[in-house]
Amino acid sequence: MSTIAVPGAGVQRATLASTDHKRIAASAGVLSLGFFIAGGVLALIMRTQLAADGGVVSQGVYDQLFTMHGSTMIYLFVVPISLAVGLYLVPLQVGAAELVAPRVALAGLVLFACGGITMWSGFLTSGGAAAASWWGFDPLSDASHSPGSGMELWIFGVLLVTVGQLLWAGCVLLTALRRRAPGMTLMRMPVFTWTMVATCLLTLFAFPALIVALALLWAQRHFGGVLVGDLGAVDYQQLFWFYGHPVVYVMFFPFVGMVGEVLATFSSKRFFGYSAFIVAVLAFSGLSMTVWAHHMFTIGQVTNKYFALTSTALVVPAGIEYFDFLATVWRGRLRFTCAFLFAIAFVLQFLVGGLTGVILASPPLNYDLNMSYFIVGHFHYTIFAGSAFGLFAGVYYWFGKVTGALLREGLGKLHLGLMVLGTNMTFFPMFILGAQGMTRRIAAYPPSMGWQGLNELETAGAFLIALSALVFLINVVVSLRRRRPAGDDPWQGHTLEWATSSPPPRYNFAALPAIRSYAPLLDLRESREAVAS
Amino acid sequence: MPDTHHAFEHVKAVYLPIAIVVFTLVVGAVLILLVRGAGRDRPGRRSNALRLELANAAVLACVAAFLVVITFRTETPLDRTVAHPALRVRVIAAQWSWRFEYPGGVAVAAVSTWHPRPALVPTGVEIEFAGVSRDVIHGFWVPQLSFMRQLLPGHVSRFDLIFHAPGTYMGTCSVFCGEQHTEMHFALQAVPAVQFERWLASGGSSA
Ligand SMILES: [Cu+2]
Ligand SMILES: [Cu+2]
Repeated sequence: MSTIAVPGAGVQRATLASTDHKRIAASAGVLSLGFFIAGGVLALIMRTQLAADGGVVSQGVYDQLFTMHGSTMIYLFVVPISLAVGLYLVPLQVGAAELVAPRVALAGLVLFACGGITMWSGFLTSGGAAAASWWGFDPLSDASHSPGSGMELWIFGVLLVTVGQLLWAGCVLLTALRRRAPGMTLMRMPVFTWTMVATCLLTLFAFPALIVALALLWAQRHFGGVLVGDLGAVDYQQLFWFYGHPVVYVMFFPFVGMVGEVLATFSSKRFFGYSAFIVAVLAFSGLSMTVWAHHMFTIGQVTNKYFALTSTALVVPAGIEYFDFLATVWRGRLRFTCAFLFAIAFVLQFLVGGLTGVILASPPLNYDLNMSYFIVGHFHYTIFAGSAFGLFAGVYYWFGKVTGALLREGLGKLHLGLMVLGTNMTFFPMFILGAQGMTRRIAAYPPSMGWQGLNELETAGAFLIALSALVFLINVVVSLRRRRPAGDDPWQGHTLEWATSSPPPRYNFAALPAIRSYAPLLDLRESREAVAS
Repeated sequence: MPDTHHAFEHVKAVYLPIAIVVFTLVVGAVLILLVRGAGRDRPGRRSNALRLELANAAVLACVAAFLVVITFRTETPLDRTVAHPALRVRVIAAQWSWRFEYPGGVAVAAVSTWHPRPALVPTGVEIEFAGVSRDVIHGFWVPQLSFMRQLLPGHVSRFDLIFHAPGTYMGTCSVFCGEQHTEMHFALQAVPAVQFERWLASGGSSA
């Protein structure tokens, strides 16, 4: 686990207590990847159960598995790693020597670790881990329907990591706003930094709602009388989804930013439509605060049409982003590196998630597909087939910057191929099963439905994904053992992090180039070329 | 009125082809860009096109508006309940059972099973369901009708359904509700009105 640490990092104690934003971010990143593997193992057990149509684990255990799988992937993997990449890169991209309030970020790391351990320690209690889904909906999560300490530990775990994530978002946002180098105006901030600004704004606006919901849930469990009345159960959902939809974009925007940077670099072109893109991202963020109750269409207690309207309107900013992605590649001098190919896979596969999202935003369609495997397919296409591919595009791109050694391209392409195959095998059949009436969160299905074949296919796909993750881990180990030095700027990047050593020194920069646009290093190369010719 | 499955198919017939066309266009565009970019040795310099961006946004807004209109038109009748339905059925969900209560004290229960005894409904008429949960949230889902409604504790949810074709409509609990969520099934059997009346008069015994 500590192999990601920078060479010559000194004793472990110094690493863990360091206030260097790069160390904090690397620790958070490694920890999130650890939780990714743990959550993935839970998924493999579930997939084995469903391929066999039951019988591998009991229903009670299955409920713990999907609850902890979802909770781990969202609270402990995708959200923290989104923010961790921001902690690492935003100070570098804006030319800052340090993060704002690094000790606060360090506290966030401690809260993250403690929260994750708290949540997972539920497995050690006699009643097992929490089993009320990653939503923790009342009244299923109340004291009479979910007795035992697993649920209690889940509430505290989620609470701790969420507070930690709020602290991180505050640090990253303030760094972008207050620590920019001379010449780095707001409209010269790199694309990734802008997506992090949007991410942090969403975090700061939406995550407090989760804290309130969890506090009310805790009070309800211990004292009762909090979530009551005719629609007490709906109150919790309103609060939860006020967090629960924006968090989807916290798990999306940073990867949009990473993919944008990667596409621009490997097309050897400036990112296309910069200002339109930023307006779109900000509009996207604002709009995404107004769509939460599309998760509640089938309750019949919200204004479905209003939420259908706002949710469908999201296609406009999303379409602008896609236009800018494609236009960036247009007329580019392309280099088909792993980072670039992962970014292309993100663009194509996320589209499936996005288009099925438009379908789910229509209540007449949602009345059938909500809570079915169709929705499971939909959000796995956004978070896994989308964001995780964006994340790996970023990992292959910035690994050399963080560790000083490049990842192997050959192993990386094997990783990509297996992951594309596994992902589509696992998640595409879910659309078919959902349309045929397969409900989510079931531990078995009636054999007469004829669903076993597709479930077996999905399970085979899940193991291919696991194999691809193994190839990635091997790649990391090989690349760190037999190092191929990255140098300062292995890819001819556009942004400031490539203007310093790999890994960057404690205070990031010895000197900064002139900043005249959002691609200062590309400016530098172009002016040199102009002089030479 | 609420032929829920027809409404679903109607909206799907608009949304799905558009989704497939958009996906195909983007995949095609990416492939062309990749092939043409592979051998290029000097990259283009252009990095913005405000007019094209605006045109793109306008097209997207039109598509979104079109989809919203289709959705709204179809949804309005789905959300309405008629004042005088032909039949009122109470649905009571609980961990982990379904209970259908008819006028005159007839009731059909399905307790934690994959082979529920069907509750009968007449074909071709509007039936009002009044659903409630006795404990946690459950989901009343009939895939063949493309319709789902969450049933809440302490709050009655009303919705109308029509069963056009005779036959058995399998139903399942769609909202995760605890340990035996997997087993929470029910069945509705749509029969001609005469047969339904006979069944109801016999106290729910002759099917
Ligand atoms: Cu949402
Ligand atoms: Cu249920």
